[in-house]
Amino acid sequence: MTNQILHTLDEEGVPHFSSLPVTRFGKMGDALPVQPAQRLSRDELRARLERMGRDGHADDPARPVAVPTGFAQLDAALPGGGWPVGAITELMPEAQGIGELSLLMPALAQLCRAGRYLAWIAPPCLPYPPALVQRGLVLERVLLVQADDARSVLWATEQALRCPAIGAVLAWPAALDDRRVRRLQLAAEAGGGCGLLYRPPAAAGQHSPAALRLKLSARDGGLHVDIHKSRGRRAHAVVVHPAAALCA
Amino acid sequence: MLWLCILLPRFALEATAGGAGAADAGDAAPAPPGGARAARGAQAALEALALWALQWSSQVSHRSGSEDAQRIAAAQGAALWLEIGAGRALFGDERRLRTRIAGELKSLGYSFRLGIAPTPQGATILARAGLDTIAATQAQLRQQLEPLPLALLSLPDEALAALHGIGLRSIGEWLSLPAAAIAQRFGPAASLYRERLRGAAREPLRHVRAPARFASRCEFPGAITDTTALLFPLQRLLAGLEGYLRSLDRAVQRYTLCLEHHRSHAPRLTRLAIGLARPGRDAAQLLALARERLAATVLAAPVLGMAVEADELLQPLVLQGDLFSHAAQHGEQLQHALDRLVARLGAAAVQSLDSVDDHRPERAWRPGAARLAVPAARARAPAAPDRPCWLLPQPRRIDAPRELLAGPERIESGWWDGADVARDYYLARGEHGAQLWVFHDLRSGEWCLHGLWA
Repeated sequence: MTNQILHTLDEEGVPHFSSLPVTRFGKMGDALPVQPAQRLSRDELRARLERMGRDGHADDPARPVAVPTGFAQLDAALPGGGWPVGAITELMPEAQGIGELSLLMPALAQLCRAGRYLAWIAPPCLPYPPALVQRGLVLERVLLVQADDARSVLWATEQALRCPAIGAVLAWPAALDDRRVRRLQLAAEAGGGCGLLYRPPAAAGQHSPAALRLKLSARDGGLHVDIHKSRGRRAHAVVVHPAAALCA
Repeated sequence: MLWLCILLPRFALEATAGGAGAADAGDAAPAPPGGARAARGAQAALEALALWALQWSSQVSHRSGSEDAQRIAAAQGAALWLEIGAGRALFGDERRLRTRIAGELKSLGYSFRLGIAPTPQGATILARAGLDTIAATQAQLRQQLEPLPLALLSLPDEALAALHGIGLRSIGEWLSLPAAAIAQRFGPAASLYRERLRGAAREPLRHVRAPARFASRCEFPGAITDTTALLFPLQRLLAGLEGYLRSLDRAVQRYTLCLEHHRSHAPRLTRLAIGLARPGRDAAQLLALARERLAATVLAAPVLGMAVEADELLQPLVLQGDLFSHAAQHGEQLQHALDRLVARLGAAAVQSLDSVDDHRPERAWRPGAARLAVPAARARAPAAPDRPCWLLPQPRRIDAPRELLAGPERIESGWWDGADVARDYYLARGEHGAQLWVFHDLRSGEWCLHGLWA
């Protein structure tokens, strides 16, 4: 690799997104400028994340409705200002390897730091531990669950979603219908974590009760996030540069 | 001393039939009690229940030394006696303890009556009378016994008839008879019984001892083919395990569930090892794990009996610091989730990840058993070059990439352990703008895909 990775952690080790190198690789062309996300103080952030862990209910006004994504434009476009908490988000990447994981990394790193666990259910490849550490995840907080059949994958996803200690569940289910998504949505509401389902792009044509549905594609040297469905916002799209966030 | 008598009037039936809670377990009518097999089953169930009761008292008995008292108290059912005076500091007063015990017996599916008195025989009479009172002292016991009919005494029928014959109607009248008259007219056994009832003589109870290893089994009146029908009897066995573990202040990290098939079937036993992420002893938790495990189990043959065994007893894990702190709560919650996942999917399916200091990408990590771990001091990102989020399980051969975006990073390592590599790694552009982590093998000249910059 030709480019050096910059780790810009403040003295508390909390990443911020204000001083990013434009791209990780020089040849990637001009990237759109990434605006720094609204910075919460460390204490504010911690308090918000800790509130998520309590046994509150969805109607608890003290509970945050979202975890900041770490991308200012995306936070601005999402209701609640981040990944919805206690709800299902569907991510529909056009292909593997376009930045579909990096998009989540800043939020996952924050959840780890707040003492929450991350469950990865039936991922298509190995979430590579050295890379996770580089992106700020705490390996002791990462659980990897493999299951042979579609039913077990859904069951494990539901179990993980119901556990309040698990802050985010990333799952790669084989096939889903809206009844099953509804089930997972209820489990996420009970557990209070972020349910992040990776689905094929064709799933965009199906109806789904998920709170947020995003289509992802590589474009303009960044990740094009098309907000296919969200609660209370009209759909539109933003381009983020998750590769750059790596350096946060 | 304060004794609780648990009278189980329908024990012989309920012990083998699965109780009220299992009425929906199958439409097979329970076998009528009787016969050696049913008696053996009831005896085993009573022993399991005695182990369950050990959590509240170190003095638990299901056998009375005096034959008559034993036979009559039990009649069709069974009886347990617990000394509950010593545990008052631990479990609160006898009223609260009685409520707790009643709740558990109900969930175990037994009909029961409870009596509390300073002597086991007194407690037995109060339980048989079905009075909702507690006699904490001898005076209270006497007062409560006085109006009760003679038939509640644990005396042989002939003795009761004789008492009736001389005009006695209540226990109070019998208690006022001179001791010498009783001994003379009704024999030394009746006299001794009265002394024991009044606490003047010691009741020769044989106490249950917690064995060194736990094993408890039950038999079913009919063959069970559906694993859900195993849950109710299993709940009873695990209640015994919890009581046993609590009495010893121990916990288990795993236990074995043995399903017994007909002797013509080979193998005769199906053994399921059920593991926990951390030592535990809560019967509900142990049952939940077994439920997941059984749901994923296909029975090799109908099940005729079942046993729970545990021999590795561990110190219960006491959480440090504030039990209700978030960290402790999260730990508990996560443990339960992990246990459920492992019970159903197997230990190999639930892993943690670790990174290893090795230049070869495929060796720079290792899986571990999923468990609760306190994160080490904040891990600083390794100084190694940037790595992709996805690693392929095996490098996959590809055609030479058309567009290389960055690289090379040379990795030459491993000559000392025979798995040496000599590769140049590049970032390449794939279809749909995917960013691929590829290498050029310097030995074979092949190109391989090894990861994705997801």
